[in-house]
Amino acid sequence: MIHFRVECPAHVWLKRLRPDQAPGKIMVVSVKVEGLSAFLEAVEKHKGKTIFALFTGSHDAQGKSWCPDCVSADPVVEECVKGAPEDAVFITCSVGDRATWKDQTNDFRTHDKLKLTSVPTLMRWGTPQRLMEEDCAKSNLVSMLFEED
Amino acid sequence: MVSRADICFEIDMGTTQQCSLAISSQSAGLSYRKIKMAAPIVGFPRAAFIRGCLQLRWGTTRLSPNTVGFSTFSRRKYGWNAHVEPTIDWTTLTTVVQQHVKSLNWGHRVQLKDKNVDYLNAKGSLLDAHTVRMLSANGKEKTVTASNIVLAVGGRPKYPDIPGAMEYAITSDDLFMLEKPPGKTLVIGASYVSLECAGFLTGLGFDTTVMIRSIPLRGFDRQMADLVTDHMEGSGTRFLRQHVPVAIDKTDSGQLQVTWRDGNGQEGGSMFDTVMMAVGRFANTGTLGLDTVGVEWYSESGKVIGRDENPEQSSVPHIFAIGDILHGRPELTPVAIKAGRLLAHRLFANTHEHMDYDKVPTTVFIPLEYGSVGLSEEAALERFGSDDVEVYHAFYKPLEYYIPERDASQCYIKAVCKRDGDQEMVGLHFLGPNAGEVTQGFAVALRSGLTYQEMVSSVGIHPTCAEEVVKMGITKRSGLDPTVTGC
Repeated sequence: MIHFRVECPAHVWLKRLRPDQAPGKIMVVSVKVEGLSAFLEAVEKHKGKTIFALFTGSHDAQGKSWCPDCVSADPVVEECVKGAPEDAVFITCSVGDRATWKDQTNDFRTHDKLKLTSVPTLMRWGTPQRLMEEDCAKSNLVSMLFEED
Repeated sequence: MVSRADICFEIDMGTTQQCSLAISSQSAGLSYRKIKMAAPIVGFPRAAFIRGCLQLRWGTTRLSPNTVGFSTFSRRKYGWNAHVEPTIDWTTLTTVVQQHVKSLNWGHRVQLKDKNVDYLNAKGSLLDAHTVRMLSANGKEKTVTASNIVLAVGGRPKYPDIPGAMEYAITSDDLFMLEKPPGKTLVIGASYVSLECAGFLTGLGFDTTVMIRSIPLRGFDRQMADLVTDHMEGSGTRFLRQHVPVAIDKTDSGQLQVTWRDGNGQEGGSMFDTVMMAVGRFANTGTLGLDTVGVEWYSESGKVIGRDENPEQSSVPHIFAIGDILHGRPELTPVAIKAGRLLAHRLFANTHEHMDYDKVPTTVFIPLEYGSVGLSEEAALERFGSDDVEVYHAFYKPLEYYIPERDASQCYIKAVCKRDGDQEMVGLHFLGPNAGEVTQGFAVALRSGLTYQEMVSSVGIHPTCAEEVVKMGITKRSGLDPTVTGC
């Protein structure tokens, strides 16, 4: 017997709808921030919850990032986050434009709890679980990071 | 999108599939499964994913005061203004070690996933030569079939059969999980695990005692083993030799009262904050169902018996064993990893290379490291006879010991060679700083047939400790003083 979770708009689940889940309820709280202080504020605000974070290059007016790996990762992450625990928080944080990111003194690179070395980086906050660069576009790996531990 | 979790728990393959099953959580099994092979591979890790070995190894190799540089005393001798002896913050230490182990475990999961290896968190046991029963944590049972099955479940620490051992003693697996510093510690055992733990606990400033029933480091070169314990004693580790533990009791204060019996039959005892067992390991094969399918195993150790010509092959075709559960082979991580790789290549890439278990180098990571490759002196004498063995040796002093006037009494090298011709080297033993680094290169040479003549015709790198290996000229037979003089 194999269970399927079918791809469809978030407000319709065909199978395994739990009694406490009403159609239309999005499982994960999604937050978008820019810059390190905004990120840390968001983490503080949601303290105690399971927090996932995606660090990505900034997007232009058309919504496209300067970082090609981020562009590939975006749709995969968007899909797989639906498998995250129901009360999790998902923070998408822009690290800035290319020049800001390439600067080795960049906050995201030097901060004790982050020490980012590349974008995109997807992590489960407060654990060593992270995926980087092209791994963020692999749905099997991304799903594994989001699922209940 | 099919959820990975759902698929993994609901496998029910009716027919034997062309796939491989690895029942393990240890390094050996992981290496086997990471090789990208055509056949799908399924794995059943036990709950704690590679915990013990990594934690211990990381602790000993990267934490001992030796590897993080000179002690404050030595620094002062060179002119550094260091007036305060550093102390260890136990919470920081255990946190970073645990985080590191978790990151390694995560890395393994990512690699397995990336190669489409299914990771099934369930206990596996054999039902027949091609069928495995999976028991998951919630009690659900399933079966899965495979054309090949690899067992790599590793070993677990033994506990002596004395009152209080199971209830109050910890093992090396638990050391970096302790919430409070271990304090005054008794380590029971004469294994390298015991000595390595005692070594770094002493280095971290804890009052540490080692209890040994008979000889230290059984299986290693006797002379080297004694030099090792001499050094540890000189560095402040206490030894209770020819002692056996009788009982462990917890007192009202929370401390542990250990009672023992010494070599003369006298009973004694003392109080400790922590008691750690390191008296050996047994193969964790008890629940695998080996008897059910006819896999031969050695009753004393629980280890699987391999074939001479095909060491990882068990008595049942298509069932293999690698790593610490394989009888008669070195219990070392790199050995297990390599054996796993070669097995996978033989099964799926049509190669014929077998694991060579001979001349495997190893190092005991006590504060003064001991690296060795090949035969011990006594093994060589037994095999070839004293007339046909020549032993070269030297006591040397690392350059960095001169100014701080550190004691180098146990810095010693021994090359065990055949006596005839160019004197083939059959064993090399090095006791000194960074022995692991020194031994690695020489081990490669030894495996290629290094002779004493070839070695001494090599030029040393100055100033290093390793150069003393290629400069050895005094034999034991000559009776001359083997102490190196000069710079």
